[in-house]
Amino acid sequence: MLNNQVANTVIDHALSLGADFAELFIERNQVNAVNSLSSEVQSVQSGIDFGIGIRMIYGNKVLYGYTNKNDEAELKKIASALAAKDLRDPTTSSTSFNFIEPMELHPVGLPLSQGSEVASKVAYLLKADAAARKASNLISQTRGICMQRQQAIELFNSEGLHTSDTRHYIRTSLTAIASDGSEQATGSRTEGGLQGWEIHEHIDASATGDEAARQALVNLSAQPCPSGRMPVVIGNGFGGVIFHEACGHLLETTSVAKKASVFHDQMGEMIANPAVSAVDDGTLTKEWGSINIDDEGMQTRKTQLIKDGRLTSFLVDRLGAQQTGFDRTGSGRRESYKYAPASRMRNTFIEAGNDSFEDMISSMERGIYASHMGGGSVQPGTGEFNFAVTEGYYVENGKIQHPVKAATLISTGPAVLREISMVGSDFALASGMCGSVSGAVPTSVGQATLKVDDILVGGNA
Amino acid sequence: MSAQPNDNQQLAERVLSKVQSEGASGDLIIDAGESLSLKARDGELEEYKVTSSQIFGLRIIKDGRVGTAYSEASDSDALESMVEQALINASFARVEEFEKISKSDDTLATDNALLCPTDAVSIDEKIQFSLDLERKLASMDKVKNVPYNGVQDVTGQRQVFTSNGLNAQSKSRTCLSFAYALVEEDDVNAMEGLGQAARTFPSLDVDALVKQVHLNTLSILHGKPVPSKHYDVIFNAETQAEVFHVFASMFSGKSAKDGVNPMRDKVGEAIADPRLTILDNPSLTDGFGYALFDAEGTATDKLALINQGNLASLIHNSATAAYFDTHSTGHASRGPKSTLGVGVHQLEILAGTDGDSSLKAGTYLELVNLTGLHSGANPLSGNFSFGASGYLCKDGIRGQAIRGITVAGNFFDMLNKIAAIGDAPVWDWEHSSLMPSIRFSDLAISG
Repeated sequence: MLNNQVANTVIDHALSLGADFAELFIERNQVNAVNSLSSEVQSVQSGIDFGIGIRMIYGNKVLYGYTNKNDEAELKKIASALAAKDLRDPTTSSTSFNFIEPMELHPVGLPLSQGSEVASKVAYLLKADAAARKASNLISQTRGICMQRQQAIELFNSEGLHTSDTRHYIRTSLTAIASDGSEQATGSRTEGGLQGWEIHEHIDASATGDEAARQALVNLSAQPCPSGRMPVVIGNGFGGVIFHEACGHLLETTSVAKKASVFHDQMGEMIANPAVSAVDDGTLTKEWGSINIDDEGMQTRKTQLIKDGRLTSFLVDRLGAQQTGFDRTGSGRRESYKYAPASRMRNTFIEAGNDSFEDMISSMERGIYASHMGGGSVQPGTGEFNFAVTEGYYVENGKIQHPVKAATLISTGPAVLREISMVGSDFALASGMCGSVSGAVPTSVGQATLKVDDILVGGNA
Repeated sequence: MSAQPNDNQQLAERVLSKVQSEGASGDLIIDAGESLSLKARDGELEEYKVTSSQIFGLRIIKDGRVGTAYSEASDSDALESMVEQALINASFARVEEFEKISKSDDTLATDNALLCPTDAVSIDEKIQFSLDLERKLASMDKVKNVPYNGVQDVTGQRQVFTSNGLNAQSKSRTCLSFAYALVEEDDVNAMEGLGQAARTFPSLDVDALVKQVHLNTLSILHGKPVPSKHYDVIFNAETQAEVFHVFASMFSGKSAKDGVNPMRDKVGEAIADPRLTILDNPSLTDGFGYALFDAEGTATDKLALINQGNLASLIHNSATAAYFDTHSTGHASRGPKSTLGVGVHQLEILAGTDGDSSLKAGTYLELVNLTGLHSGANPLSGNFSFGASGYLCKDGIRGQAIRGITVAGNFFDMLNKIAAIGDAPVWDWEHSSLMPSIRFSDLAISG
């Protein structure tokens, strides 16, 4: 996307201004979105994003700028403007670029560049809509979206790295709304992956509609949730958001290097119940949070974060490695050329255990079974997190009683990691978007069903 | 900016001429922006970021079908491709009987002296402000570090052109500073943050921000949960504005048209305490949501949303207004990458009659921080459950600091559980809203 000679000249220019390190991140992003509403196509949208981000590092200071133009003069102008207050004699000389073709871990079948497949996507969404409406006459509305994105990136840096990659993202979602005349409730199902529209061969539109409708109907019948401290069994798949919020963000060197993580000085220590082993893995084939290379050009890998309760690794990007001394883990990620990279999660999950779902439920005298989770957030400095239950049930005397609504779970990362006492074997991953200092990036969360012995449930009963 | 206004006008004329030659009508949004952002750490500048960007967003209507497309590139090929893509997209869309391109051929512009004033503050002085902010806060009692802080100077410009001749331009500037302090004592820690915003840099006050962030964080440090039960609650200005904005879709004519607004058939009905009057007031110049015209170029005006407890109006663009056989209220919203929607400009709740002596009588919780607003609220049902922190108060005096609790309820029910409305409205710059304190009764607190 960017002429090698132009890249070379700009990198040399950045080094001549005294930068210790210089990097160009070029991105061309093609997007197509099909939206359905009321059993019809509501809109089809498309567009092209293009831009170049320039990063210059002086010691631990990051200078960052971006532009939509790709000419040499504009790029050199930005580099000069960024370095205006840091000019010094050059400390590094440029080397010639050595192009590295990344290993293709996620081959694509139907990329966006070969066609947006709108008719096929419309058919999928309308079939899901029909299934949801067929489930009950209480389903009053549905909303569907099929979003496809093809992100081409190219990187040059002052260490001679030149590499490129193309990522293919697909995500479909259907939300169903159930109404009984006085109350309304929602349910949804989302599928996604690092792949093209070939995903439709592996997902069932009817099952998507059925599931969205089922959840909406359950929530329509839900009762106010009891509140207070109690045990909670958290369902598999998106239930893994608990680890993402409670622990994952606290292991990013973005927080660790600033000592803004409660785990910043606990490498090698027991930070979780021995039942907990956790991983961040960018290599999982075609998973939503996977990559071939990170946004600093490093080959992705699997990183064991916690093993049998003991902290074994942080998530480390280039700057984090420089600041903390830990090796890079291929975790430098960013939403787009508009952001400097930061250490971020990929597919992050608690590994499966051997406990049975029945044993978990029967062990609770009074508690909640949170079968489906929504999003959450965390404050890394204190580890305080929250996340929402989108489908939950009250459990009493070891038996599931009735659905509950409007529940939030809150705790701190260190506390909840110690309270995970049982982990099941029904492991699953689920796709989501994670927002942080370098924007919103695709991440997967995952776990088998697990039990937290004590957590605060915020309900309205 | 990447291109001058006149250049953009010529580009827009070329794009819209192509649209018309294809038998369609259209409007083109051109957003451009420049920004400087700074972050400091351990007494030195940690990040220096300069950005410049431009994006074109096209909406076309052909045979009653709407298509949108956008491009960040401004070369002829990219813009032609954008037109072709919008036409293709429209061919798949349903017929939108009510969506039209504005017939206006007005030329509109906002007042740069008001919304985009200049000042003589140099980059060196802004860097010094950033360093001072981090250094001064880090030196305060019990502050372990200042992990998140920043200073920003952002200028944004929007131009809207239509095939019928509308040319509307707005430009605004926002200067921001923010800081979070991590304080620690006896193995207990807390982190709180705050920001301030102004249209000129000299209006930012580093000492005031440092003092307030430190006070807020230190005050909450040793907070503990309170017993689970129902309490009266007063949200502070920031959190009250957050809650009202989370549920602002209750006023959306677009959601009503789409069948996902429970207030759709309740215009004219009593939905709230009769002391409650909520306006959308885009003409208040102190707010960052000040707007003379909306995304369709329709002039804005003050609009009563809830009048003495009765739902007075939904907010409309031209399409939702036509659907409901009414007039646009000047609330069209559209970004370069999005389709036509609606959005509030500046929520204003009229002052009540309760002074502090009645508003803050007896025992209540003052909540100063809410978490999980993006995930813990259901705008359709009104149900919510958020993490919270604040203070247990009595007769206006803060007592025990509170952390690790949740507040849950139903927003629509809450509008009818108002115990008192204060007599002193306060601006919240982040949500650009002007509201007095409201005391809500009987909210479920879990601790």
